[in-house]
Amino acid sequence: MKTQTLTPESTPAPTPSRAAEPTEDRRKGRSKSDGWWPWLFVVPTVVGIGVFYLWPIVQTFYYSFTKWGVFGGTKFIGLDNYLRMFTDSTIPQSILNTLIYTVVVLLGIPIAVILASLIERPGLRFAALYRTLYFIPYITMPAAVGIVWRLIYNGDFGPINWFLGLFGIQGPYWTSTPGFALLAVATVGLWMSLGFNLIIISAGLREIPRELFEAAEMDGAGRVRQFVGITVPLLTPSIFFVTIVTVISGFQLFDLLYVMMGKANLAMPQTQSLVYIFYNQAFLQNDKGYAAAIGILILAIIALLTAFQFRIQKRWVNYV
Amino acid sequence: MSRSKGGKQGSNVLAHCVLAIGGLAMVSPLLYQIVMSLSTNAEVQSTPPTLWPGVVQWHNFADVFTSMNFGSQLWVTVAITVIRVIGQVLLCSMAGYAFARMRFRFKGPILAVVLSIIMVPSQLFLIPQYQIIQNLGWLNTIAGIVAPGIFSAFGLFLMRQFFMGLPDELEDAARLDGANPFQVFFRVMLPLAANGLWALVIITVLWSWNDLLWPLVVTSTANAAPLSVGLSNLQGEHANNYPILMAASLMAMAPILVMFLLMQKRVMAGIGRSGLK
Amino acid sequence: MNHNVTRRSFLSFAAAGAAVVSLAACGGNSAAGGSAAKAAYAAPARDLSAELSYAIWDAAQKPAMQKIVTEFNKQYPNIKVTIDVTPSKGSAYWTKIQTQASSNTLPDVFWMNGPHIKLYAQNNQLLALDGLVSGKAVDTANYPKALVDLYTVNGTFYGVPKDFDTSALFYNKALFKEAGVSEPNSSWTWDDVKSAGAALSKFYQGKGIYGYAGDLTGGQTSYYNTMVEAGGTIISSDGKKSGYDSSGSIAGLQFWRDLIESGVSPSMQQLTDTASSDMFTSKKLAMTMDGSWTVGPAQKALGDDLGIASLPKGPTSNQSVIHGLANVIPANAKNPAAAQAFVAFLGTQDAAKIQAETGTVIPAFNGTQDAWVKSVPSVDLNVFLDLAKDASPYPVSANTAAWNDLENTLLPQAFAGTKPVADVAKDLATQMNAALAKES
Repeated sequence: MKTQTLTPESTPAPTPSRAAEPTEDRRKGRSKSDGWWPWLFVVPTVVGIGVFYLWPIVQTFYYSFTKWGVFGGTKFIGLDNYLRMFTDSTIPQSILNTLIYTVVVLLGIPIAVILASLIERPGLRFAALYRTLYFIPYITMPAAVGIVWRLIYNGDFGPINWFLGLFGIQGPYWTSTPGFALLAVATVGLWMSLGFNLIIISAGLREIPRELFEAAEMDGAGRVRQFVGITVPLLTPSIFFVTIVTVISGFQLFDLLYVMMGKANLAMPQTQSLVYIFYNQAFLQNDKGYAAAIGILILAIIALLTAFQFRIQKRWVNYV
Repeated sequence: MSRSKGGKQGSNVLAHCVLAIGGLAMVSPLLYQIVMSLSTNAEVQSTPPTLWPGVVQWHNFADVFTSMNFGSQLWVTVAITVIRVIGQVLLCSMAGYAFARMRFRFKGPILAVVLSIIMVPSQLFLIPQYQIIQNLGWLNTIAGIVAPGIFSAFGLFLMRQFFMGLPDELEDAARLDGANPFQVFFRVMLPLAANGLWALVIITVLWSWNDLLWPLVVTSTANAAPLSVGLSNLQGEHANNYPILMAASLMAMAPILVMFLLMQKRVMAGIGRSGLK
Repeated sequence: MNHNVTRRSFLSFAAAGAAVVSLAACGGNSAAGGSAAKAAYAAPARDLSAELSYAIWDAAQKPAMQKIVTEFNKQYPNIKVTIDVTPSKGSAYWTKIQTQASSNTLPDVFWMNGPHIKLYAQNNQLLALDGLVSGKAVDTANYPKALVDLYTVNGTFYGVPKDFDTSALFYNKALFKEAGVSEPNSSWTWDDVKSAGAALSKFYQGKGIYGYAGDLTGGQTSYYNTMVEAGGTIISSDGKKSGYDSSGSIAGLQFWRDLIESGVSPSMQQLTDTASSDMFTSKKLAMTMDGSWTVGPAQKALGDDLGIASLPKGPTSNQSVIHGLANVIPANAKNPAAAQAFVAFLGTQDAAKIQAETGTVIPAFNGTQDAWVKSVPSVDLNVFLDLAKDASPYPVSANTAAWNDLENTLLPQAFAGTKPVADVAKDLATQMNAALAKES
């Protein structure tokens, strides 16, 4: 992934990256600008995104400083909504919940790396079948699989507790016990994203030149050393990409909670996400000004985390 | 570690074991859903769980048609999905191409804004977008359902990544032949980005197929409701009739599954490449 | 589909007044809100031509509503009514209505419930329907008083009652028989239901079958009733102060904690995993407190084994909370004459009878409930009607949803026993009072 154009602040200091880099250099020599042609390409999309996405964000930013009447009509109240967030104990708890959820789903990345390196072994039979099996959860409907998982997790008649019972283990009420509920939801998140991560990482693996492994083999390096010494380092760009995607979607957790948890759940305080609190404040409690402030907080946290990841990527991501 | 032929065979057996068990685990929730869709409600809630129904209840699938307006809802879903896909493929690939391979003022700042939009949870857009659609007079129209969704910050970014990875030679040659940027784009570059377009297509189809809150809010006539809304209605109506719910959601997912199986090579190639650049 | 051309030409003076007020006074309380519309309503000419949208949330009731529309069209053949169902599940209906209200695009007629009536009325979103009463198109004496009161805000009548529901004791005769426990009757007290529940739970121990439970993920069919039966309140009658810290309310909550602690009822977690009504219909629960809308599904699942008795008497009474829906019209109605004609018709005896025959809900129009009672002959459904007579009104305030959310967050801890009931109740009262203070 090219970095210098992704984050505006890093534009002046180009980092070495592959393939596309010489292109830009050559262009610089040719002309300073492509005239008005680029605008023909970008104006429809930029205007559409501006109207339907950017403008709502600007509005939300404005509303976060107001007391917003349920049916419209706003009153400017300065930083009150933001000050209230500091005294609202559900906010830090939900940030923690969201982080735990994201970390669990991130565990799917090492799993995907291991599975991908197994599937991409040269000449492995049924590789296409395996890829399909692992990818199928990604293309299911969250609202539908949420119900299926609710039944699978059911403490009384769910198959998980039945299975544990065969070994004499009394399983918990997975989706309604604090602690377990977050893990249960995160497991579903991992299940749904594993196939996507696997495909990205598989493609990354196929890009690694075979000669590197052959050379390592001649030096007497074993499978494990090849994996640690060649596979993982050369996969870091793909790993970086799926990490970014996972963190962003982790902070948007909402649908699964909504379908799997139900409204009066004992475990909800230890499970609810920031977006869940946003929806609750905006549409159930009718406090849209406060909800807008929470929305801005979500945006700020994701932007900070993403910027942070881009900053530290130089330390661990290898672009060949 | 031995690198003999025998050793390789042996470790492939291990790989097959791991992959097969893992793969089975991945699809087991769907297999369980199929079992439940063929069971009675009592069997779904029985202990120990029913692994195969006593009598296969095929009628659950027929009952779906009497419980919801499946045919017309499927049609609405297909229509809005097709429009969104065509819109996104055209607009995002054009914009993505310009951001990847052309030079113009404010390119960096605009791209930064587009990236930050990807990070915003969609619930935040609901009320402002509704008011825009209303001001445009598009409530209860197909235009109203699809308008925000034919523009996509994520799609733009995805296509930019693809175009950045393409070689310069063909593009330069076409320019030397006197082709204008439109001709270069449509005749040379777009065909080269086919994999990227497939990734965009499948991601847009999935998102559009499952999109619930927006069509729910923006349409108020029953005959404009897509499948996602119909399923949600069914859940409200038959909250405790699990077999029907399972059968209906399987039927709603089936077209996507079939489409994926038919095009899986391209889809996987497209999505795989999106992470390379 | 509404054509913009017809919008303005049909605006009556009354609605224009209300619309202007609602635009000018968003968020504030305006006493002038209803006065403009208080002029007596006169039925419009029979050839009035209009298109109305009617928003409801229960797909199961759509056929009955459609039938009512057909009857209505015999009087007004040129008023076309389109019914729009949005599921209430996941609060989709209210998310949508609220979004529409923020943009002045509310449907011409829509269903209203208790938790939302004050919010919409006090924010000038609804058309005052006093004109229907003074014009003799609607007689409030035809409906249970608790419902008329629910939909009268600051002396203005906003919604014509559509149906109502009360809660009673449902039981499974077969489970009682097998365990040799005598069946409930209308003289039962809390102690009777507790001891019978204990005997049943003990008999079926290890089989996953329990004696007694209620739906603790909401108050209406469980703790609201017991709080009232113990002399407590949920909210003061002026809707300004929480009643959760009163000793009666705490006793009403403690009742459910005791059931769970003694093993009569499944745990809070179990009741979250599987709804109590599902447990009852799948024969895992011998007795449950549930709402009148459950009669249909329960009868379908249990057949003649279904028994229904009045609520067991608590320390002070065996009252049930009564709730019901109403049909309302938005303040800036595009066609108030046609909308009022339709709402008036929805409030008639004829419309109520059509609802009753489907057996899905108890119609609000007094005297039409017989058809509903007869819809399930194997049990005595008069229990629900008797409970309605001195039922306690459904607790609401201007922003009911805010403290409903507090109930959902805090009370599960009390029922699960992670915190003492009294502590949770007092904490809830404090937080609820803070939320109520923000309403004005």
